[in-house]
Amino acid sequence: MARRWQILLAVLGACLPLLLAYANTEEWSTAERRAILRFGPWPPAPSRDASNRVSGRDDAILLGERLFFDRRLSGGRNMGCDWCHAPQRDWSDGFQRGVGRDVVDRNTPSLWNVGTRHWLGWDGAHDSLWSQSLRPMVDPREMNATTRQIAERIRTDGDLSCRYEKVFGTAPAFMDDEQVLVATGKALAAFQETLVSGRTPFDDFRDALQRGDAAGQAAYPDAARRGLKLFIGKGRCSVCHVGPTFSNGEFADTGVPFFVVPGRVDPGRHGGIAALRKSPFTRLGAHSDDTQGLDTLRTRHVEPQHRNFGEFAVPSLRNVARTAPYMHAGSHATLDDVVRHYSELDEERLHADGERILRPLRLTAQESNDLVAFLESLSDTPKPFVRRTADTDPPCR
Amino acid sequence: MTLSRRTVSRLLGATALAPFAARAADVLPIFDAHLHYSHDAVDVLPPADAIGLLRKAGLKRAMVSSSDDDGTQKLYALAPDLILPELRPYRRRGDLSTWFKDEGVLKYVEERIRKHKYVAIGEFHLYGADADLPIPRRMVELAKQYKVFLHAHSDADCIDRLFRQDANARVLWAHSGFIAPAEVVAVLRRHKNLWCDLAFRSDQGSGGKVNAGWRAAFMEFPDRFMVGTDTFTPERWHYVIEHANFSRAWLADMPKDVAERIAWRNGESVFGGMMSAGG
Repeated sequence: MARRWQILLAVLGACLPLLLAYANTEEWSTAERRAILRFGPWPPAPSRDASNRVSGRDDAILLGERLFFDRRLSGGRNMGCDWCHAPQRDWSDGFQRGVGRDVVDRNTPSLWNVGTRHWLGWDGAHDSLWSQSLRPMVDPREMNATTRQIAERIRTDGDLSCRYEKVFGTAPAFMDDEQVLVATGKALAAFQETLVSGRTPFDDFRDALQRGDAAGQAAYPDAARRGLKLFIGKGRCSVCHVGPTFSNGEFADTGVPFFVVPGRVDPGRHGGIAALRKSPFTRLGAHSDDTQGLDTLRTRHVEPQHRNFGEFAVPSLRNVARTAPYMHAGSHATLDDVVRHYSELDEERLHADGERILRPLRLTAQESNDLVAFLESLSDTPKPFVRRTADTDPPCR
Repeated sequence: MTLSRRTVSRLLGATALAPFAARAADVLPIFDAHLHYSHDAVDVLPPADAIGLLRKAGLKRAMVSSSDDDGTQKLYALAPDLILPELRPYRRRGDLSTWFKDEGVLKYVEERIRKHKYVAIGEFHLYGADADLPIPRRMVELAKQYKVFLHAHSDADCIDRLFRQDANARVLWAHSGFIAPAEVVAVLRRHKNLWCDLAFRSDQGSGGKVNAGWRAAFMEFPDRFMVGTDTFTPERWHYVIEHANFSRAWLADMPKDVAERIAWRNGESVFGGMMSAGG
């Protein structure tokens, strides 16, 4: 008799996780399930940038990697792109505001999944990754190079010149300075497009939900599950943080002050649109390879609105737990601070007919912790970045 | 200039806000009908600097309200030629969603309006049937008693209700209710004492071209519209110049006479003399 009971208990014990998981599958409404599935699949299928003819090409990716770490792209030959976008810091720098030659106005965004964005920079002043990649090189506060310096340094390096010619079909000696700069940006973009974050505990949960895998769903922590429910429900976070990257790719005023210093403001998206419209380095300009105009709609139709003043990019949330500090000027040190910001939102800073979706969430301590647990589940397992190129590589012939 | 420098300036120069100061007498003056100088703005932007920004924008006049009223009084004391004070029924801006049920607000407004001179009570947020609550009704009475305007951030229903309470009330409709121009026109046709501000709207003149629906509205009622920035956060004071230039850009697409009326003449003729008038 005792033996029978032992067998019964063993069977029940083995089935318990599955029973609990089954119970958990019932906790999502149809609308919630649909919302969760929209956060995937991950990783996304690779896509190419129509405005960059070397996007996705392996030789360009390798050249871009070489350039990304090349300190000669700065005026003082003392910093490469990795100065601010350090691989060991999740392609950011950990500072409140970026520090190049000088301290800049905004936080350095991580480059994870940067190839998925259609507007680049906190203000969206660039409509392509290659265009965005030009700016830090020639910004006096960042790498402080000139177009001439960059072009000359590349032309006078036989190995680099050879690699440019192989990738772009023309040697830098036969390009003007601006063409060399743009080619540099396009190679850098090809490399950055490969910086795709890995799968996360959330992705495993999401896929398990999709295929009805109860055991797979059960592996997702309860706190993260409750946080997810808040994220897509009461918190309404998913109105902006939507899709596989957890960003709508647009801009918002979330009540974060945008004085840079007393008496000077960061105009955010409003200034970004103005800059975009004046820039020769857009998808509509002569340097774009999108001759068919396949991906130019947004650039052609974007118009500044009053509400854009003080709006900043809605960031991706993938690997968010490892990319502190947060907000456009790094004003929030931790995820707890960010959640508190939305919980205690200062309504006085929001226009009554502006960001209507925002309201103070008034979260309990438990809810705040759950939301943070969910955000933490959006991080992959860190892997050290391994360069594929080295200065000791055989010379280009 | 070398190519390098040119490239740098093309990449970087454009990223600045570039709010060039209004220049000389050929620049269209602007009557800005919608500014706030609330407690948080006072904290970071001294009154003299705020006045400096308004003058740099080429404003002829500026209708200012604030939460609390002290900010407005500070600006008016410094530049009575420029500032037209409005009395906002908010002690803090957070009162905007509760003021119409708050007896304390009524007491505050009655005290202030006895003590200081204003051109309007507002800008206040009020929608639909809330207009008929006792406190908004008292605001309408106070506006009549002190011969001032009501500056209402409201829907069309609320506007109708305000005029039902006092057919001779004078109302400045903030943001023109955030509704389509044809709907604004319909309300204007109903109320001869209704004027409209266009604050925080971009649709009337996006890209420097006047939208057809708005053009028809402006041509039918050239004497009833005004522009306004809406400085609802302290940072937005640094947008006043940009907004004035935005207004000049789309007004240039209108006949000169109509453009001047909307830019400043309407505001000046309706409100300009109120601070010096008796009563």
